[in-house]
Parts: sequence; structure tokens; C-alpha cells
Amino acid sequence: MEKEILEHGLHFNRRRFLSRLSLGLGSAALGSLLIPDLFSGNGMDEDGLTVGIPHFAPKAKRVIYLFQNGAPSQQELFDYKPKLREMMGQELPPSVRGTQRLTGMTANQKEFPMVGSFVDFKQYGQSRAWVSDLFPYTAKIVDDLCIVKSMFTEAINHDPALTFLQTGSQQGNRPSMGSWLSYGLGNENKNLPNFTVLLSRGIGNGQGVYSKLWSNGFLDSVHQGVQFSKGEDPVLYLRDPEGMSRQDRRDMLDNLAQLNDLSYQEFGDPEIAAKVKQYEMAYRMQTAVPEVMDLSKEPDDIIKLYGPDCLVPGTFAANCLLARKLSENGVRFVQLYHQGWDQHGNLPFEIAKQAKDVDQASAALVTDLKQRGLLDETLVIWGGEFGRTSYTQGKLTKENYGRDHHPRCFTIWMAGGGIKPGMVYGETDDVGYNIIKDPVHVHDFQATILNQLGLNHEKLIFKHQGRRYRLTDVSGKVIHDILA
Amino acid sequence: MNKRLVKFAEQGVFVLAIFILFILLFSDRIVVPLWLQPVGRMHPLFLHFPIVILLLAMLMEAFRFRTKSAENQADASAFYRDFLANLLLVGTLLAGLTVIMGLFLAQEDGYSGQVLFWHKWSGVGIFFASALVYTIRNKAWYTARIARVGALTTIVCLIGAGHYGATLTHGDNFLFAPISNELKPTPVSLDQALVFNDVIQPIFEQKCVSCHNPDKLKGELNLTSIETIQKGGKSGKLLVAGQPAVSLLLQRIHLPSDEKKHMPPLGKSQLTPQEMTLLALWVKGRADFQKRVVDLPPTDSLRFIASALFKPVQAVETFEFDAADAETVKKLNDDYRTVAPLAKESPALAVNLYNRAAYKPEKIDELSAVKEQIVYLNLNKMPVTDATLKQIRQFENLQKLDLNFTDITGKGLAELASLNHLKTLSLAGTKVTFADLQKQIGSFKSLKSLAVWNTTLTTAQITQLQKEHKNIQFIGGFDGAASEPIKLNPPQIKNNSTIFNKTLALQLKHPIRDVQLRFTTDGSEPDSIHSPLFTGKTVLDKPAIIKAKAYKQGWFSSDVATFSFYKGSYLPDSVNLLLPLNPVHQAEGAHTFFDSKLGTFNANSPAWANNWAGFRKNEMALVSEFKKPVSVSSVALRIMIEEETSIFPPGLVEVWGGPSRTQMKRLGTLRPELPAQKSPHELKAITCTFPPQTISYLKIVAYPLKQIPAWHPNKGNTALLLVDEVFIN
Repeated sequence: MEKEILEHGLHFNRRRFLSRLSLGLGSAALGSLLIPDLFSGNGMDEDGLTVGIPHFAPKAKRVIYLFQNGAPSQQELFDYKPKLREMMGQELPPSVRGTQRLTGMTANQKEFPMVGSFVDFKQYGQSRAWVSDLFPYTAKIVDDLCIVKSMFTEAINHDPALTFLQTGSQQGNRPSMGSWLSYGLGNENKNLPNFTVLLSRGIGNGQGVYSKLWSNGFLDSVHQGVQFSKGEDPVLYLRDPEGMSRQDRRDMLDNLAQLNDLSYQEFGDPEIAAKVKQYEMAYRMQTAVPEVMDLSKEPDDIIKLYGPDCLVPGTFAANCLLARKLSENGVRFVQLYHQGWDQHGNLPFEIAKQAKDVDQASAALVTDLKQRGLLDETLVIWGGEFGRTSYTQGKLTKENYGRDHHPRCFTIWMAGGGIKPGMVYGETDDVGYNIIKDPVHVHDFQATILNQLGLNHEKLIFKHQGRRYRLTDVSGKVIHDILA
Repeated sequence: MNKRLVKFAEQGVFVLAIFILFILLFSDRIVVPLWLQPVGRMHPLFLHFPIVILLLAMLMEAFRFRTKSAENQADASAFYRDFLANLLLVGTLLAGLTVIMGLFLAQEDGYSGQVLFWHKWSGVGIFFASALVYTIRNKAWYTARIARVGALTTIVCLIGAGHYGATLTHGDNFLFAPISNELKPTPVSLDQALVFNDVIQPIFEQKCVSCHNPDKLKGELNLTSIETIQKGGKSGKLLVAGQPAVSLLLQRIHLPSDEKKHMPPLGKSQLTPQEMTLLALWVKGRADFQKRVVDLPPTDSLRFIASALFKPVQAVETFEFDAADAETVKKLNDDYRTVAPLAKESPALAVNLYNRAAYKPEKIDELSAVKEQIVYLNLNKMPVTDATLKQIRQFENLQKLDLNFTDITGKGLAELASLNHLKTLSLAGTKVTFADLQKQIGSFKSLKSLAVWNTTLTTAQITQLQKEHKNIQFIGGFDGAASEPIKLNPPQIKNNSTIFNKTLALQLKHPIRDVQLRFTTDGSEPDSIHSPLFTGKTVLDKPAIIKAKAYKQGWFSSDVATFSFYKGSYLPDSVNLLLPLNPVHQAEGAHTFFDSKLGTFNANSPAWANNWAGFRKNEMALVSEFKKPVSVSSVALRIMIEEETSIFPPGLVEVWGGPSRTQMKRLGTLRPELPAQKSPHELKAITCTFPPQTISYLKIVAYPLKQIPAWHPNKGNTALLLVDEVFIN
């Protein structure tokens, strides 16, 4: 983008042209020495949108990320710790906790009594993976899942942890994962945004999600996530206003494009061209979005598969069904956020309801994609931003307890997209506090996702303010052990 | 230089020459004492001095007789002569010392072979050549030609010795290995990999062979060929087949790393735990040299670990056809069709069509330009018909075809049978029949997967097809009828508002098709027998609490949904509040009570407080004016009750009315029932009724509860009163 404006300036300024020429040739030569791929081409198509082609043959073409916002407790869902139940009420040995920082919510707690899960676990499928009784539907599809029990993160509070998982940095202002994929891979369907966001909220203690999480950061604004709302107009202002026909709209856009083109000729700012393209896309979305959002043609079997809530706009189930439809229509990255997993207290009651909200639809999405032959090319991810502690927050009673934030280990699952199915990766210790085998850092996780989409996380870079940025910042390695 | 010092050095050179000759002659009988070994090991450090000094000296020697420098600048030439002579002497002396050190080092274990031979003799050659040059360079017959020959010989020896020395230390072709392609092993795929050649030998090559090769032969062991590995070294045989514990190889690598005999020696790159395991497993499996990795049983640990080292059998697919013209591909991309390579530099193309309304048969015709390159074609939900299949036939390399929810009938499927690479075919949601498939599917040679869910095929028919065609996986999909019933979700209301002034047609809805809705208006629980079916004809003319339930065959009935409808017959023409509102709950001021906007729970959070008008410090005093007098018999307040957060119903409600602002009398009072401890949160209307009265002004006074009951943690304080609507009837 900046380059294009510069080039535009060169047409008018001979001195600048000449002075940059001498410097330019030298730095170009040096540049090719430092970055071997500098001149291998990263073109823009005539739309002004980046043409993205995977660096190597991808396993997955699309991602659906079922983000469980608030951090679901791994001890109640996937990470079975019978020992923890045996040691119920005993103090967590300080040697286990070490020097780890705690949140302000439990740092002043005098005791750290361990608490086991109130719910039972069973083993399922050929992989014999342990799944809690809260997830009967997920339990049925464990042979399609790769359950990673050894995720860990650096942040201890929701917003930084969420931002870290989504953008690779705790501070924000960086492009979201979906924006990076849009930037790296380009459009599949030119009638829909590349990166869409769907929100839902369970009854549990909720934490905020903000639009910065689907921001394009310093990438072109075409890569920004588009939030579909739950009302009658999923994308606002997509309907023609009353009294305006589709033809009027077309004529208006054509005339507007001519005016914009004049500005472009004069200033050469590529954002003008991008804007025109976005208007055009919005015009095409006027027919494409209603087609995608129309759930009335879904067969009864599909409704039953996702559960009846899938027809109630704004529920997690409805969003899962929509995610499948958007993905099927070539949307690269569908980001769901389901709020309400922050069980600091009253955990047994709240988590049961939360689990019920998401269990059937999450499993249904995997089953549905599989029968459509799309699971091979779609990566489904389920998980929160960190885990929860093995000790209770607040008072431990027979029926009730809470768990605080725990960044040292948490569980997520992935399915499809070339990830090994029927696998459990990583292990935590007997009290579920520390990882003892195969830790997966957030950057490793991000590198693995990009790898599955045919992108080398070290090469997917964008230069901004003099620095080359990556989703994985300066670290991250692909976890080859979980690749099919 | 001092003459005496020169003399001393010259004698030193002589002594060194004798000593070197002695060592060379009796090398077989010499044993280098332990204390002298460090001197020998200084050879690789020391040798750089003679190389540089002699190189410089010999170059100067070669040009010593150039007339220009000799005659024209007498002073300079005198300096040149002295400097050169001394340089030569020092170089020769250092060369002698280096040679001796080298000879000591060569006595140690592990140096032998061709490379050492050439290194040794070229090194010795340097010393004698330079000593000779130094001795004869002042003779009368020593001419420019002889000087050049002598200098050149020494330089050649220098280069030779340097080269062979480097080969001894760093291994063969150290210098050019990074840029020569020959040495890079070609990656082997798992099905071809041999246990020894591709798993074990690479470990030797990386970690052992730099010392145990035919040239270096440390411990008389050579690990470069099968024969010499079987032969073993100085300490005996390396391997005892099947017994890793007594095999010398494994004993040595497992010794503690500070042990002298630990291999690889400290300082060299060590074996990884995985490499050690591989070696142990290999010896345990009788140290076979010929077996392939895939010949091992699938449960074998060696095979398990080794499998990870190789490319999977079906690595990146290669295509035999050429890539299509980039310009053509670019032109084929439009708003509703994407044609994209599978990856950078892949000739194969994936094609997707979108938007049913924008589809035209030409969309497929135009693809003829890249018919050879298309491997994926996605026509999901496009209105393609059987005729289209004829067009698709030309895409000879097609592997995956998605025809889900298209308009094909299945009659023309045979058209596709000639696609020899077609592996995946999806026909879900089409009109394809069992008969079509049974007749035609046999002719699909390489088909691996066929999706037929949501078609007329029954589960039994799919099972039968699966039996007849074992090599194809039939995807029958999720069968809702066969799965366990699940609970319906509760009904919803379609009415925009639950507040009406005269009558309201009740509108209930349910997201699921063909659901029966049953409801009651009297607050009782609906059931599937007695409660009326919702038909859309019910009209409400008074406030009501509707309870509704959904029923459908094959599903469990839903939970009960409860909806409250409120009637407000009269809207005042103007309203004002006489006393202020609670600061948090300002809502829309006096208009809040007649704006038809209902509040929800969670009123303490600013986001949800919008519709609630709150009172705590003073009572609610609302005066409404009606331009036309109205007959009033009841006033209802919709309030929130949430004892946990000290939101209580009012202690007392008074309704005043009259023909003018100053002539109002009390029409009625109400003392609402107080909630019990831990009672559920509620949103409800409390109604004050009185005999009908015609009035123009109405004043409603509601006092917040003065004293919260004694059971409450906040006892004795004033409660908060929240009102969102007022209904006047």
C-alpha cells in the first residue's frame, strides 16, 4: 500500500526518483541477500486485493474456530484427574504451584484446597479418550477429534489471553488470525467476506468480546472480520432502503465508482480503489448473504443433528449451523465466540448449563462437515483462552466450588483439516496443574494452524513501521506429532 | 637480527632436521610418552604460523632477483635481503617444530591411511624444501630461476599439506559440502526405506564416521561399510546380534559422558536419546543389514520411531500434466467462480462455483480451456442438471466432484464413469435413486467415497450397496429418525409488543417446521390433551399470562414458555414526575411509564438498566393529564422483584384522581405482598382496582418499602423500587 503511494510520488519528482535509484538498487541487492524470497513475487490482483496462494499444498482450506470465551474448566470436561477427587480438600502442595503468579482474585486466599470434578468421566471410541458426562455428544465423536491437553499461554486474565490467542500479542493492535489467513490466502468466494464473526452467550458468568479481536490491525482493511448479528439483518445496511430498487443501487454505485476513480487518478491512494471494491462486494453480498443465512431449506435431519436451538438466531447452535453454511460457501475463517465460561464460583451449576449449550452443536458441526466431505478441508477448533485451577476459589462445600484462571495448562480439541483424528496429545500431572509431556505454546498452536492451511508461519509476514510482523511473533513451531 | 641469535637458529634447524629424520626412520618403534602428547596436540594450533610466514617468505624469495628492486633502491634492497633471510629462517624453524608435533600426534590412535600419508610427507617436504632454500640461497650459482623453482615447490607442499590436514580434521569435502548437491541424501519414502541404510547408517555418518573412517581409523574402527562394521575395532567385535547389553557399540555410547571411553567423545556432537534407542533396537533385532522398515511388524518399536523419520507414503501428490496458462486462469476467475491452483507452483486447479442465481451453463463450458488441470470441482447447490455431467466428463483428471443439492437425477451418472481419477463423489440431497446407483456405480473404477445422504435411499439400501461395492465408502449421513429423540425448544411469541390498548391477536411461533403449539390463558400448565391447539385465531382483550408448549412427532415436548400480556387502555396526554428519580435508574424520565418498552433483569448493570425508573430516597409521584376525561377503574404498575439486590415491591401504592389538578381525591390504595426469603426473581404487574371514576387528572404515588424485612442482610434500610410501565384501564 505504502509502496504504491510512493511510486505515485515518483512520477512527479525527478530528484527523488534519481536519489532513490542509487540507494534503491543497493538496498534491493542487499535485501535479496537478507531475504532470499524478496523478489519471488507477492502480487496484487487487479482488484487491489492481495492474491493469496498457499506456500505449499494445504491440508485445510478453511477454519471454523468455536471459541469458548471465559475459559472452560478442563477438569470438568476433558482432563480426567481421579487423584484430584481423592485428594479433595487437601492443600495444593506449594511445590506444585512453585512461584507462579496468581490473579488478584485468589492471590490473597489463605488456603488452596484441591477440588476434584463433580462430574464423572468415561472412555470413548477407539482412541479411549476420557470425556466427562457433561459432553455426551462430543463423546460420540472422539475418534474424529485430536484432543490437546497440554496447551499453555502467557496471559492470566481474559482479555490479554484472548487477544494473545487471536492475534499473537497480548496488547492488541495486531491483525487477528482470521485477518492473517485472509491476507495469506485471499478470497475463495468473492461474494462473502473472508473472515466472519458470530457471537453467542450462555447463561454462565460472561466476559466481554470486543471488535478489536477481529481487527485487521495494520493489514489492509479488506481483511477485517465482519460480524454477523443475530437479528433479521445479519449484516447491517445490506437491504435496499424502501423505495430504492436494485437497479437504482447499481446505477448509484457505477456513478460513485467513476467519481472515486477520478480521485484515484489524482492521488494514487490504493485505499480509494479498495473502497470501490468493497462497495462492489457489498452489492454482491446483497444476494449472497440472504442465500447463506436462509435456514429454512435445511433438511429435518440436519435440524435434529444440531438440536432445535439451531433455528433460534443468536444461539450457539444456530451459529454452528451458520458457520457450516458460511464455510461451505468459501468463507476462510469463521470465528465463533460463546460467552459464559468464567466459573469463579458456582461452577457445577453453571458449567453444566454451558456444556449443554455447546455440546450437541459442536459435535454436530464435525459430523455435518464430515458427511459433506468437507472435514478434510476444514479445520474445526474448540477451546478457550486458558484453563482453570485445580484448587478452589472461594469456599469449598460438598456441592459447590469455583476455579480461578490457570494459564499453565488447558485443553482444546481440533478436528479435520489434516489433523490426526482419534488422538490425545500431551499430559498434565496428577493434580492437573503442570504439563508433564508435550507442551504446546499458543504460538506453536498458531504455527500449526497456518501450516495446515499451507502457510509457513515464518514467511507470512507484513512489514509495518519498520518491522516485519508475524502471527507467531518471533517463536512457534509446528507440532508435527498431531498432523495426519 | 643479532648474529648470534641467527647462528643459534640455524643450528636449531639443523638439529630439527636430524630429529625429524630419526623419527621418520624409527616411527614404528617410538612410543610418545603421555606428557608429550599435549605437545603433539598443539600441532593444529601451531601449524598456522609456518604456513603464513613461509608463504610470505617464498613469495619474496621468488621475486628477490628482480633488478628494479635490487639496483635502484639500495637501502631498501638491503632491508629486503635481511628481512627475507630472517623471515625464511624463522619460517623454517617453525615448520620443523610443527612437523615434529605432527609426527607425535600421528603416533596417537586413529590416524592412518592415504590422507595421513600425503599430509605427513608434504609437511616434511615443506621443512626440508625451506631448509634447503635457506642453506643454498647465498651460493653463487643460486639464480633467479632456481629461486623460483625452490619457492614454488615449497608453496605447492604448503598447499598440499594444508589441504590434507584439513581433510583429516574436518572430513572429506568440508569446504564445498554446503553447496554441492551430490552429498544431500535424497529423501526416501517410508515404503522404500531400509533399516540399516536409511535409519542406522545415517546416525553413524552424522555422529561417528568423522573419526571412524578408513583415513582416521580411531580405535582401528571403520564405520563406513557393512564389512568393517561387522569386523569391529581394536577392542573387539562391535555387535553381538540380538544382545544390545553386551554389544560394545552400545556399552560405549551408554558410558557416562565423562568416562574416557564414552562415545562420541566429549566435545563432539552427542547421540540423541532417540538415536541411542534406535541403535539398541536395531542390535536387539539381530542387527540386520538388509531388512526394510515396512517388513517389521507394525507394533515394532523400531518401526514406530523410524516411521516418523520418513516422508509418509503418499507424500505431496505430483501431477503429470502441465500447468495452465496463468493468464487464462486469471480470466476464468470472476465474481461467482474461483479457479485457483492447489498451491504455489502446483499445476492442479480447484474450481468452485457460487450463488445459484448467477449460474449459467457457460460457467462450465468456459472451463474447457483448463480441462486437463481441474482436479476439484465444487458445484454444491448449483442448478446443474444431467446435461451438465456430459460437460464435466471432459475434465479428465478430476478427483473430487461435489454435486450435493444439485438438480441432477442420477440417470446420467454413467457419463462420469470415464473419469479414471475420480475418487470422491458427493450426491447428497439430489434425486438420485437406488436403481440408478446399483446399475451405474460399478463402472466407476477408482471411486473411494460416495455421499448419498438426504436422498431417497434408505439405510437398508445403502447397506446393500456397501456390501456390493466394498472398495467404496458410502456416506449415509446422520439419520434423524433413527437417532434418539431430543427435546424441542420452547415456543416464542411473534407479537412486537406484549402491551395492547384494546385487543391483541396472539401470535405464537416456533422455529421448527410442523410443530404443534398448545397453550393456556389461565396460568395453568398446558398439556397435549386438554389445552387448545394454537391456530392463530386467539384474540386477547384483557391482561393475560399465556403458557405454551411445543409438540412434534419424534421429539420430546418442550419446556413451558410463559408470556405476560398487559393491557393499557388509556395513554395520558401529558405526564410529569413531581419528585426525582434514583440517579442510576433515570430511564426516559416521566415518559418511561408509557413508552411500551419493558425492562429485563440485571437492572444494576448500566447496560440493562435502560427501561427502569427507580426510586429509593423519595416516593414515586406521577401526575397524568387526560385532555378528554376518561373512566378509570384500575391502575397497574409493572415492577421488578429481586430480593437479593434489595429490589422490592412498593410498601404502599395510592391512586388519586379528579377533574383538575387541585381537585383530586384518593381512589384506591394497594399494599403489595412482600416476597419471602430466597424467592425467585420476578417481573410482574401489581394492580390497584377501585370503582369506576371519570377523571381528567390522575396521580399515582408509590412509596418504596421503608424497612427491608428482618430476614434480609440489608434489613431496616429503604428498598429500591423499579417500575418500567404503568397501565391505566
